[in-house]
Amino acid sequence: MNRRAVGYELVVFVTQWGLMLIGFGILTKFVAPLNLLNPSLSLGVYFDSATKALIALILSVTWLFIWDRQVRLYFHRRGK
Amino acid sequence: MASLGANTIAILIALGSFPVSLALTRFFMYWNAKHGIIGIDVHKPNRPKVPEMVGSAVPITLILFAAIYATLGGASSIPLLAYSLVVGLAALVGAFDDRLRMRGIFKPLLTLLCGLPLLILGIAFPGQIYSSMLHVPLFGQYHLPVIYPLTILVATSVTSNTVNMLDPLNGSMAGGMSIVAGGLLIGLLLVGAGSMPIFLYASLMFSLLGFLYYNRFPARAFAGNVGQLSIGASIGALAILGKTEIASVVAIFPNIQNSFFFLSRIRRFTEHRELTSKPTKLLPDGRLADSEDPRAPLTLVRTLLIGRPATENEIVSSIWILFLTSTSLAVITLLLTGV
Repeated sequence: MNRRAVGYELVVFVTQWGLMLIGFGILTKFVAPLNLLNPSLSLGVYFDSATKALIALILSVTWLFIWDRQVRLYFHRRGK
Repeated sequence: MASLGANTIAILIALGSFPVSLALTRFFMYWNAKHGIIGIDVHKPNRPKVPEMVGSAVPITLILFAAIYATLGGASSIPLLAYSLVVGLAALVGAFDDRLRMRGIFKPLLTLLCGLPLLILGIAFPGQIYSSMLHVPLFGQYHLPVIYPLTILVATSVTSNTVNMLDPLNGSMAGGMSIVAGGLLIGLLLVGAGSMPIFLYASLMFSLLGFLYYNRFPARAFAGNVGQLSIGASIGALAILGKTEIASVVAIFPNIQNSFFFLSRIRRFTEHRELTSKPTKLLPDGRLADSEDPRAPLTLVRTLLIGRPATENEIVSSIWILFLTSTSLAVITLLLTGV
């Protein structure tokens, strides 16, 4: 078994898990309570949901970007 | 104590799915081989022929036991019906792909539709399939009245396709998903969840173990898309029905990494068989090595081979260790969520 590779992967998973919890914390504590549009407006609920979904999407892409850089740092560098 | 009793009964009924899955796997091995439904194990020097689509034993067992549990009055039949429909539809998409070799883009599109039973029955029977309140570890919960229902369709498609993409070696998918199902089952028991998700996770784990008996190295049966997609859809449906959304994402970290690096390099939905640049190569001594092709995707198996070739058994053991870790993190996530 390639202990070093497995070890690197475990570090990646624990790091990404921690980042994911922080991301959900940001969504729960800061993004979800925002009142971006008055819900009484026509389609206000949908615009509000769409904006918050966009913020969640940006956070997810950032999370995957960090994951990508971390794996490339550990494995691509070693592969060259 | 009443809850403990219901959970014990649920697990005892689910235990029956092990021999049923084992017997069905044996039957499909014989039947498929006889009817020429065979694949080639390309990771062995002698390239043995192995019966394909044998993983259909798993969705059949899951649907059969969901029906048995509903008949015995273990839980409301609506969520069990939704679960069976999701698993059945995903198996159907997989079977079509196995027989007709569809282009890579069709699988994610068709599996989007597999989540429809959860959405439709969830709207028709409010509170029985999903609640749009997402429980987050450490930070409480928030209401997603519009986004949550739409996410259901994406969730089943993502889980089924990501499971489909990480079955390159003997026992890697069946063993990995057994660990995921077993870990989430333990997590649900620890947080005192209801007996229905406990039954479904137990049934999934025992069915997978029955199939794994013949799929482990050296494999005598291949799951095929029919098995992989339905097992992935089952994980997705259970995340919704069991309220284990975030924990399920954590548990399938190895699948997410594998799919993400595959898609980020290839930049399109395609089949492994259509790849011109392979991530791994077979050495004459039977070990697998990194192909060192810069155009090939950095799959999970490839990361485990960088700098050092390994036997198929060693790589599968490493993958299982990764699943054990991600599932342990998932159990901690469930405990932190407390639902």
